Amino acid sequence: MWARVARLGRWALVGGHRAFATEVCRGGGRVTAEVIAHLERLALVDFGSREAVARLEKAIAFAERLHAVDTERVEPLESVLEDRCLYLRPDNVVEGNCVEEILQNSHRVVEEYFVAPPGMCCAKYFNSELRPEEESWWCVKAL
Amino acid sequence: MTFLFSFFSLDHCGSRLGTKTMLGRSLREVSAALKQGQITPTELCQKCLSLIKKTKFLNAYITVSEEVALKQAEESERRYKKGHSLGNLDGIPVAIKDNFSTSGIKTTCASNMLKDYIPPYNATVVQKLLDQGAILMGKTNLDEFAMGSGSTDGAFGPVKNPWSYSKQHKAKRKEKPHAESEDPDWLIAGGSSGGSAAAVSAFTCFAALGSDTGGSTRNPAAHCGVVGFKPSYGLVSRHGLIPLVNSMDVPGILTRCVDDAAIVLGVLAGHDPKDSTTVQDPFKPFTLPTLTDVSKLRVGIPKEYLVPELSREVQSLWSKAADLFESEGAKVIEVSLPHTSYSIVCYHVLCTAEVASNMARFDGLEYGHRCNIDLSTEAMYAATRREGFNDVVRGRILSGNYFLLKENYENYFVKAQKVRRLIANDFVNVFNSGVDVLLTPTTLGEAVPYKEFIKEDNRTRSAQDDIFTQAANMAGLPAVSVPVALSNQGLPVGLQLIGPAFSDQQLLTVARWFEKQIHFPVIQLQEIMDDFSSVSENEKLPSISLKQ
Amino acid sequence: MAALMLRFCCAGRRWTLSCVDGAFRQGRGPLTGSMSSRIRGQRSVAQHSFTTAQKLKKGEREWAAVVGLEIHAQISSNSKLFSGSQVHFAAPPNSLVSFFDASLPGTLPVLNRRCVEAAVMTGLALNCHINKKSLFDRKHYFYADLPAGYQITQQRLPIAVNGSLAYGVCIRSQHSQVANKTVRIKQIQLEQDSGKSLHDDLRAQTLIDLNRAGVGLLEVVLEPDMSCGEEAAMAVRELQLILQALGTSQANMAEGQLRVDANISVHHPGEPWGIRTEVKNLNSAKFLAKAIDYEIQRQINELESGGEILNETRSFDYKLGCTVSMRDKEGKQDYRFMPEPNLPPLLLFDSESLPAGADPQQVINIDQLREHLPELPSQTREKLMLQYGLRPEYSFTLLNEVGLLEFFHNVMKDTKAKPHTVTNWVLNRFLGSLKQHSLAVSESPVTPSALAELLDLLDGRAISSSAAKQVFQLLWRSPGKTPAQIVSEQKLELLQDREALEQLCRATLEGHAHVVMDLKKGNPRAINKLIGLVCKAALNRADPTLIKEILERQLSS
Repeated sequence: MWARVARLGRWALVGGHRAFATEVCRGGGRVTAEVIAHLERLALVDFGSREAVARLEKAIAFAERLHAVDTERVEPLESVLEDRCLYLRPDNVVEGNCVEEILQNSHRVVEEYFVAPPGMCCAKYFNSELRPEEESWWCVKAL
Repeated sequence: MTFLFSFFSLDHCGSRLGTKTMLGRSLREVSAALKQGQITPTELCQKCLSLIKKTKFLNAYITVSEEVALKQAEESERRYKKGHSLGNLDGIPVAIKDNFSTSGIKTTCASNMLKDYIPPYNATVVQKLLDQGAILMGKTNLDEFAMGSGSTDGAFGPVKNPWSYSKQHKAKRKEKPHAESEDPDWLIAGGSSGGSAAAVSAFTCFAALGSDTGGSTRNPAAHCGVVGFKPSYGLVSRHGLIPLVNSMDVPGILTRCVDDAAIVLGVLAGHDPKDSTTVQDPFKPFTLPTLTDVSKLRVGIPKEYLVPELSREVQSLWSKAADLFESEGAKVIEVSLPHTSYSIVCYHVLCTAEVASNMARFDGLEYGHRCNIDLSTEAMYAATRREGFNDVVRGRILSGNYFLLKENYENYFVKAQKVRRLIANDFVNVFNSGVDVLLTPTTLGEAVPYKEFIKEDNRTRSAQDDIFTQAANMAGLPAVSVPVALSNQGLPVGLQLIGPAFSDQQLLTVARWFEKQIHFPVIQLQEIMDDFSSVSENEKLPSISLKQ
Repeated sequence: MAALMLRFCCAGRRWTLSCVDGAFRQGRGPLTGSMSSRIRGQRSVAQHSFTTAQKLKKGEREWAAVVGLEIHAQISSNSKLFSGSQVHFAAPPNSLVSFFDASLPGTLPVLNRRCVEAAVMTGLALNCHINKKSLFDRKHYFYADLPAGYQITQQRLPIAVNGSLAYGVCIRSQHSQVANKTVRIKQIQLEQDSGKSLHDDLRAQTLIDLNRAGVGLLEVVLEPDMSCGEEAAMAVRELQLILQALGTSQANMAEGQLRVDANISVHHPGEPWGIRTEVKNLNSAKFLAKAIDYEIQRQINELESGGEILNETRSFDYKLGCTVSMRDKEGKQDYRFMPEPNLPPLLLFDSESLPAGADPQQVINIDQLREHLPELPSQTREKLMLQYGLRPEYSFTLLNEVGLLEFFHNVMKDTKAKPHTVTNWVLNRFLGSLKQHSLAVSESPVTPSALAELLDLLDGRAISSSAAKQVFQLLWRSPGKTPAQIVSEQKLELLQDREALEQLCRATLEGHAHVVMDLKKGNPRAINKLIGLVCKAALNRADPTLIKEILERQLSS
């Protein structure tokens, strides 16, 4: 085994792919203020800080490495079970009728309804004038 | 806290039953003891509960379900008295990672978002364990929503590796003994199922459930010196497992020996109509055959797994393990998995995308944390998610959403799916060429101190630590980490075996054979254990064959 | 299944343009003010459009509208698409909700076999190609009634594609000619319904009921082959009939089982299509055409006054009778579609590809479903035409009115009268009376057996046809009575006394010499006048045919 290891060792150092390398942060170009606003709106999660934006940039740069792989004529793999039949359930009523259990973990319940705030969204919170540099992207903090 | 120095060294899964402490026995052995009346379920349960209390500083448990456990033990006892035991797991204390739904017991995922969430149903695997009479000791700690490789990024604090306090490690560090709570150099338990691994490693239970998405069961198993088994995707139900990456998650099994893992697998595996990603093939529970002749076994060594970052010690152990197989008659072949270097980045894209999607349900409306904002639904959702998720989770949600944007979907997500196929095909090709099992390291090195671990951010760490483990998740293959030896620092090192899809039984058979050849030492923990104090020093076993 | 041939295409196309033109060239006044008159007048406009086509002003540019539809039909099944909770219209809030429906973490979707069958049957009935492999996706957006933060749908590879829906549009008045049209079906996909939000403005909160969350929906996407509200409404009606005939959806719009979104744009013929808007949640059959036509006109007005059309979502305000912008958020929407990882691909089979020894519960055979498809509306209409010699437009009307076909069949069952007579009475007098009183067939005061009895009396020449009309009116007002009762009470039996009749005729001839002269001059209508006079004198108790015979004999002598 030692000889084998020595051979492998040499190979790895010479030309072989490194399993990972320190990623280069290319920064700036990809993640614009527009993209930030867009993502925050779609995900309803705020970046909250410059570091978070930098982390995203790193994540994107890291993902770029995929483009080095030749995937010509390769089908995407969605599920390792793609060759298996999807299980079909018979059309019987076997669940439901458990309103107490459904509601028990909710903080706000009225009469047997879940309670949400009155409207879907509030224009105030999506003012495109705000810049990501500001500590609070969400007006929420001001409340 | 008083300490009793008790030295002992026992074969954790072998013979010499007479003097062995009950907690140190294998699942099969203690089950026999229960049947024979040598100990009652209640006594066993209480021993474990007591040990949990004593090892509280490990922070392995988020919730200890003492009342529930004692009640279950009582019922088990009644069954044993009548001679109607349910099987090998009746009366056996187990622990469950806190991302499995347990009815009536808080299930937090170590997140602020679910800190008070009490599910109204049991995960299928939990139900199966309970149906077999297992005793639920508690819910174990993890990285928040299973994102991480150290069990350090949870809302209830990090998990400490029991080996930090072992005689074996302390001897190597040549430090004066001090109270555990003051030890600044404690080691991480690995992740994300660190709590489960620590719970098993510290004898507080005989088996624990973890989850494995990129190595989250095998990684902490290797760091905590226990067996960590990842079943084939589709073999064990995920219903009730709060998902990280639906297309890669599986429930994992952590035990102190391979045979125990097989027993648990036998109870858990099989089609679940509630989980459409379980295969419909009928599953027959098996008893692991004792392999004596490995001359027909072909073991593959993937050359791409020899990376510069691999520690010399692990490399050496890997090499010795290969030699061991060869010396016993197996054929050891070098194989190639050409796309190995891309698996981490591929995993990174697919994982964050799924996380972005899976976390969309956490909005505070039906369950979980809810903020005080009430102006609009979106504002409420946003504030809830900000307060409920830690930075790691939020970061992955944002990355994942980025990769799923219309303009990026093809270039990142679909591209990653294509690369995933290439990776899966690598394995298929290798196994088709006549290889039965692959032998690889589980981790790059031994467990690192927490102080060092947190210097890098979560994503970078995960990317590094998952390198040997996550390809098996991408391809849906079964894999097991077996503890092999102690490092120079007296810390456990594990090696991994990977098999073709649905070859779980064969894989465990080989793993069991391998385990028998190497005699990994039992952890020597300086705790108050009534049983242990009566054991004499002469019980020490001869040296371990793979020791440095 | 016989496919309706496309007849009157040219006429149809011309009509289409003129439908637009006729309907939408009337002034550019304030939208709400003249709206109602325009809508009310629309039917008559459409009716006269054939003639208004000739009245197109020269120099003014024509407009053409393009309408596509996305129709959501709730699948008629016991349990939901991915969970085993019940599907039921009215139930206490959150009582028909499973852990999966409430998106409790760790729960997983499990596909309902019945919903797949419903989708395949609908696809077959709409001439679609059934995809043997289809996939499920997640469509992400946040909404209070969408607990998981995403909807499971089939965006990439739906269960059925490339079909067609044949429907008929009336050209002139209610039951004159019918133009056969076709609209292409882009795809049919299975997807989840969302829960319901109830806005409590008093307490500034929204109440969420998830009973509907997870109910199976069939989304049927109709290509923009339609050109006005009328066509869209008729296409929707035909789809409704098909779904009801298949039993795959009850398609009751009032109960929310059928919901329509329209994609509308306008352009000048020959030029590229304009920007389209989406008008959502058109949930009333009555307002469907109105809303679409309103939007078409709004767009024309906007463009003609130099404005531009925004690619936005609008909803129809039923009270105001206009569409309003729904856009309450800045920024573009991106659903970030992603494959649903918890559902491997859905595989369907035909008789050839059916795997041997497969569990019949776990496989769906397309051929088998095709063989057992129930009779579709087009087939029913064909049958009616063959069996009773009905004209196409009659069979259309019989099917289009809810409950009318059944009524018709029940009358046919009980009467000896000829189909032609029955049809005439049912579609004219009966349906006309219903419309006049704004009643549905189910609310009719006249039962099928009562009408059957009346027609028997007429057929057996016990009463005259004008007497029959009188009896019908009385029946309508006094539903408890039978026709025979009314006839005897009102003394409407046909005069059997020939002598008396002859006398009446002679008296009439004598009393109306100028009409007789008119007749002798050669006016053909004069005889009818005479007959009418005799009928009146006979208090509707004389058979017009007999009167005519007697008069003619008397005149010739």
